[in-house]
Amino acid sequence: MGSLNNLREEDLLREAKIILKEKFGYHQFRSGQQKIIQDVLNGRDVFAMMPTGSGKSLCYQIPGYLLNGTVLIVSPLLSLMEDQINALRAAGERHARALNGMMHAQERIRVLRHLEELRFLYISPEMLCRSDIREALAKITISLFVVDEAHCVSQWGHEFRPDYLQLARIREQLGHPACLAVTATADERVREDIIRSLELHEVAQTIMSVDRTNIALVVRNVSNDDEKMEQLCKLLRTTRLPGIVYCASRDWTERLAELVRRQLGLRAAFYHGGMESIDRRKIQNQFLDNQLDLLCCTNAFGMGINKPDIRLVVHFHFPATMNAYLQEIGRASRDGQQGLAVLYYSPQDNQYPEGFIDSNFPEDAFLLHTLHELDEGVLTIKNKDQFLNDLQERGSSETAARFIYERIREKPAYQSFHSIFKRSKSMIEQRRRVLLNDLSIMKNYLTATECRRAYYLKVYHEDSHEKPVYCCDQCGINLADFDSVNFEDTVINRKQLMSWEERLSYIFKESERSKQ
Amino acid sequence: MTEKVRIGDDALMFSETLLLFLIKQFNGERTLSGIYHLLKGKKSSQSIQDSFLFRVEPFYHLCDDLERQSFQKLIEHLGDHEWIKYMNSEQTRVILTEKGMDKLSMFKIERMIPDGLRITNYVTTEKQFWLRLQLLIQTLSALRYQQTAFLPITKFPAVTEAVRRIIMESSLSRNQLVHQFYQEIRRLLTSIPILEANIFASQFSGYHMTGLTLRQISDESGKDLFECRTFFKAALRRIMQELSKNKSRYPFTALLMSPGVSGLSTTAGVSLRFLKSGLSAQEAAHRRNLSIGTIEDHLVEIALKDPTFDLSEYLTDELEHRIMDHANRLNTRQLKTIKKALQEGVSYFQIRLALAKNTVR
Repeated sequence: MGSLNNLREEDLLREAKIILKEKFGYHQFRSGQQKIIQDVLNGRDVFAMMPTGSGKSLCYQIPGYLLNGTVLIVSPLLSLMEDQINALRAAGERHARALNGMMHAQERIRVLRHLEELRFLYISPEMLCRSDIREALAKITISLFVVDEAHCVSQWGHEFRPDYLQLARIREQLGHPACLAVTATADERVREDIIRSLELHEVAQTIMSVDRTNIALVVRNVSNDDEKMEQLCKLLRTTRLPGIVYCASRDWTERLAELVRRQLGLRAAFYHGGMESIDRRKIQNQFLDNQLDLLCCTNAFGMGINKPDIRLVVHFHFPATMNAYLQEIGRASRDGQQGLAVLYYSPQDNQYPEGFIDSNFPEDAFLLHTLHELDEGVLTIKNKDQFLNDLQERGSSETAARFIYERIREKPAYQSFHSIFKRSKSMIEQRRRVLLNDLSIMKNYLTATECRRAYYLKVYHEDSHEKPVYCCDQCGINLADFDSVNFEDTVINRKQLMSWEERLSYIFKESERSKQ
Repeated sequence: MTEKVRIGDDALMFSETLLLFLIKQFNGERTLSGIYHLLKGKKSSQSIQDSFLFRVEPFYHLCDDLERQSFQKLIEHLGDHEWIKYMNSEQTRVILTEKGMDKLSMFKIERMIPDGLRITNYVTTEKQFWLRLQLLIQTLSALRYQQTAFLPITKFPAVTEAVRRIIMESSLSRNQLVHQFYQEIRRLLTSIPILEANIFASQFSGYHMTGLTLRQISDESGKDLFECRTFFKAALRRIMQELSKNKSRYPFTALLMSPGVSGLSTTAGVSLRFLKSGLSAQEAAHRRNLSIGTIEDHLVEIALKDPTFDLSEYLTDELEHRIMDHANRLNTRQLKTIKKALQEGVSYFQIRLALAKNTVR
């Protein structure tokens, strides 16, 4: 970091703040960000655990403007890459690109041709493992090696990615740039794994609380679905929006969206994995563009979505893990304003999470069929992303597709694909046990008689700190405080349907052209 | 969904009639999956052939967004009203009941179906075209509003690359480009019925205004979802036809059409559809009331313009090589000369075909 030596630490910090304001429009750092950025700018290896929605991307984006060279961000989530690049471009950054297996080869070539002009390069671990890509990268200066979702490196985590084990070696080959490893969730065991396996030296650690103090937590017990729908409508009639309602099934997302639209006249839509991808895109963009007040969705929605002003997250059914729950409610009020999370619990709901757990793994018949197709040569694993995509198009969940892929990769070359069926099955059983344990922790949250916040902090081995004013239903909360009348939101309520001429003239800004 | 069905019979009038019509046409000779695949536009020769066999060509690929589950629910709904009955215990084949016949005869399906739906020449490329069109509109809107970033409605590489190429290769300034395109789209939409134009354009996305899904259009307008799909597809097909007939009026938008198929004359395109459905050249000629020679002309045109079409039925690889060997050795493209040099059993048509195939490469 030669160029930085002559800048004193406080100068650097001042520079960082200017960038924060000018590029990203924030007036001050949020908790944790400043220390991480300082450590990064000082060239240290950094491990940061930051809960969803606490602004971890700024921790490498701001240094990107102060360090010489390219910030390389390894991320396993394609949607997240796209969202981040989009956000950077919207902030006026033209030198941000991605490299992943789903890109057109032509576009990949374009990116590789302009590598050294890039300030930010997002890359999937699979791409980084390719030698041609690594050779190209070795020719440019990597100022910072960011490992996003760093828990994927740990075998203890649920999302272990074997590709991540190569990262330490690859970092060496790229001239050993400083490393920033970030994750939203990692217990001590996983943290140790990350630091050891990424070979972080004299690592500066910032462990932030998983607590999102600006989100109030409410659990409501109801006796059946009808009562649930009644309560939901009552809540939505007055509460500040936009909001998300998480449901356990596709049918429910459609049913609730229709109910809310008819009964309350809200602009509501549904979103789930069974829709055509272009329709999913449209609904997602409508929500981001404030064309919708409410989105009823399955857990297929949310990854890589950055909408800072979601005020309400409802769980019509509870998720299978505390982790997932925190992740989902963490989408509320990322701008730091007050948010609300309401979960409706009726005893019948216990059936759903078991279904979620199953969706992590392929069903026997699907697994058999896939292995058969591989043996027949109908499917190949030459291109990993393509393979994962193929399986998802055949109806698999992404996690189940990845599970199959990993089993196949472990298979010795001389064996048939079919031969790994038995071993895969016993592995499924083993993992299922771990997940059932997670589920019981989630269920205990629902029935806990103590403070909700204190309960989940205990799960993450954190001490309770200062209670926020709006804590949880156990501590006492008045839902009327969250009514939209208490806030001065301006809602632009543009009608959805219009004549083709009106729509066309808006899309191409023709009305203004005639005035020009 | 119970909710949907409860809404009342009016809202479902269109889907009911459509489904009853299709069931009548299929007459229990295929399973319900056959009807589902027809609507989905499954790219199997069986589905394509069925669409001809049962005279339901316009409905092929009517709704590629149809979920199996919603289809099944609709069938159950028809069963609940006793308009259809199952022919086997697996409940995979159905026919109309008397009651169903009566119900269907109350409506004139011909009048419910807009003319545009009957344009089936471009059905194989309509999805591709539609995605390109939507992405191009979204991109140009972003350019017009000087938006630095947006979330594209599709990331499908073949679509994004095509749109990228069209914009990059234009010699117009960005601003002119947007205006030119606006005028072309305006002209296109003016040329079709207003109801279709509205449903079509409601799906366009632009700067901070994302297009609606067909399901949303159905919900917002109170129209049956199948009716919306029908009007949308009619609009799409009319527009594709207009573009391919009057290319020069839409120099920019016409670039969205796939050259392979749109390059074909309309009549050769029709023959191609018949041939793709599995008919022989002879049968196609009979069906179309044309001479076999005309169909052979079409085949030569197809060989020239649609290299993906399998011609091995008319010309084996081995024969093709033999013809080309002679042609090259004699250094001629004269049919008579080549025919003379070859032994008997080779037709002029086969030689033309071989030559056509090899001009392309």
